[in-house]
Amino acid sequence: MDKTELLRSQLLVLAESFRQRLETDIPALSDLARSLPATTEAPIEPLRLLRDSLHKLAGSAGTFGYPTLGNKARELEQTARQCLDQRSWDDACRQRLIDGIDELKTMQKAGHSAQGPNPQMAQASVQPSSALRIFILDDDPQSALRVAQTLESFGYVVVTFATAAKLTPALEHDRPDALVLDVSPGTAGHGLLESIQRLQATWNQPLPLIAVSDQESFDIQLSAVRAGAQGFFIKPLDLAALENRLERCFNSFQSEPFRVLVVDDDIDLAQRFEAVLSSADMRVETVSDPRLLLQHMDVFMPDVILMDVNMPDYSGPELAQMIRMNDNWLRVPIVYLSAETDVARQMAALLKAGDDFITKPISDSVLITTVYSRAQRARLVSQALARDSLTGLLKHADIKEQVELEIERARRTKLPVSIAMIDIDHFKQVNDSHGHGVGDNVIRALANLLRQRLRKGDRLGRYGGEEFVAVLPNCNAEDAKTILDDIRAAFNALYFSGSNGAFQCSFSAGVSACQALGWEASGLLERADASLYQAKAQGRNRIVLADSGSDIP
Amino acid sequence: MSELERVMHIEDDPSIREVARIALEVVGGFIVKSCSSGQEGLDALKQFTPDLILLDVMMPGMDGPQTLAHLRTLPETDNIPVVFMTAKVQPSEVAEYQRLGAAMVITKPFDPMTLPDQIRAIWRDWHGQD
Repeated sequence: MDKTELLRSQLLVLAESFRQRLETDIPALSDLARSLPATTEAPIEPLRLLRDSLHKLAGSAGTFGYPTLGNKARELEQTARQCLDQRSWDDACRQRLIDGIDELKTMQKAGHSAQGPNPQMAQASVQPSSALRIFILDDDPQSALRVAQTLESFGYVVVTFATAAKLTPALEHDRPDALVLDVSPGTAGHGLLESIQRLQATWNQPLPLIAVSDQESFDIQLSAVRAGAQGFFIKPLDLAALENRLERCFNSFQSEPFRVLVVDDDIDLAQRFEAVLSSADMRVETVSDPRLLLQHMDVFMPDVILMDVNMPDYSGPELAQMIRMNDNWLRVPIVYLSAETDVARQMAALLKAGDDFITKPISDSVLITTVYSRAQRARLVSQALARDSLTGLLKHADIKEQVELEIERARRTKLPVSIAMIDIDHFKQVNDSHGHGVGDNVIRALANLLRQRLRKGDRLGRYGGEEFVAVLPNCNAEDAKTILDDIRAAFNALYFSGSNGAFQCSFSAGVSACQALGWEASGLLERADASLYQAKAQGRNRIVLADSGSDIP
Repeated sequence: MSELERVMHIEDDPSIREVARIALEVVGGFIVKSCSSGQEGLDALKQFTPDLILLDVMMPGMDGPQTLAHLRTLPETDNIPVVFMTAKVQPSEVAEYQRLGAAMVITKPFDPMTLPDQIRAIWRDWHGQD
């Protein structure tokens, strides 16, 4: 018996014991959900238990051949998580959990597919950033195909439906991450709008809906909005704009948690702040030794600083002024925590540096609201300042700074970092023959594609007109080349609508890295740029690796 | 650098523990130590001397990040990559785990067939080999 067969037969045995386990675990979940009180106050402890059990189930069911059950468990986990995070609890939430767990029961009874656990099944789910699923219903199969191909090249998983009759049950039982729907008058999609509106009301997070139509009438747009449309596009579709809109829908759901740095010598109090803010889904770190404050900030990159006013040896305003001496930290709001109720002295502290005062004793809700609103505002402002308006990527100076930061980190942690310089081929011709509007679409499309395909921890900036820089931490040059080559092929497969029909574009890139054995860190950008030049000279539409500049063979 | 041989797996769910053990032993040919809690892992560390630690994020008692923090206080773990395993999470959480010092995050449900190759790749990456 070879290894695969051996593993498969052993897995079958384990799957059987997992099946038996489900027979007790799911009724237990069901009992737990039914025991949740129908009070207005969220039952924290039992909800946590339920959330954690569902999380476990979401993680294990797929491995044992119950992927649908696993997905449903994940959805329920998120429901429970939301009730917890937002402290919102009512009979509807409770009922949703109970009904969902009943569905799990049905799925368990129906049993899993006959072949048992499928070792190929999880291929797609090992990616750190999971692929988003998009459903499409379009009466015109040509158009559906074009949309599907484009979205797939952006890394989405696309399912195309031929009829409304097939789409409706799929929406109910296997909710996608977004729906692209043809709502032209007389089409199947148009008839679906009302039932989608009803479905939206049953979900606690709206399903992003993009409506496409061959007419731009007010009535159609209104019914699309009522069904929860977040985008409306007229045929023939501008696919880059459509992708851009989808991207924006998703970003509003998965923004990173706010980071809060607490500077307080009172460890107990700091821990309490940490607990309160963490419960509102913020990431909190505490600095008890102010001498380490600036180093800590460089590593943690806080959105907000909570600062005790009175500490032995240092005052809050003194530390705040030290922070403000650094240009990089001008945008970070500093909120003082103090027993100071003398308004005049509060004002004096604010004049030196700092943005707000919270007076001790501090209520949990005031703390959360103050920090949240400050963090939200700071994020928006710094995004507007640091981001390029066309692409939403970092601007020249900011990406350069990220390059330096990541190289420094690579040398410290001995994890490789790769730098890629990317340039769209013959971009001037695009602008000249199709106009700047189309050129902008091409730039935006590449920006979105890069954002989609790279990991969240990777840094991405618009370096110049049609030039981009990507920083890939924990990635060696060879891997970076492979990744970029995939993106190159995907970009090359995109069709843009130009003034005289569809056209295609390509890009070239140069890659350099700071990695074993040499850990050469100087001139990485220049080396990447030189390789980009070589890629252009060798005929464009290709990736060229820089000489490692070290003793790697 | 030597080859990856000894893998410690810390996970409270018995079914997942078993599946991972079989995958790592049968397919990967590794020597595997399965532990059902962070504490058990810490206790077994000195004796087992793992090359790599696979750590479940959500466990009752000491969870993954806490276990990692404990591990990092022990000098003998300096050169041991710790890989988190967790049910599908937001990309931002993955970044956060890596910031805490996880070498990589493997998403559940994992594929038993490819798990050994995955951690071998992580192992090579950690040691800066192509």
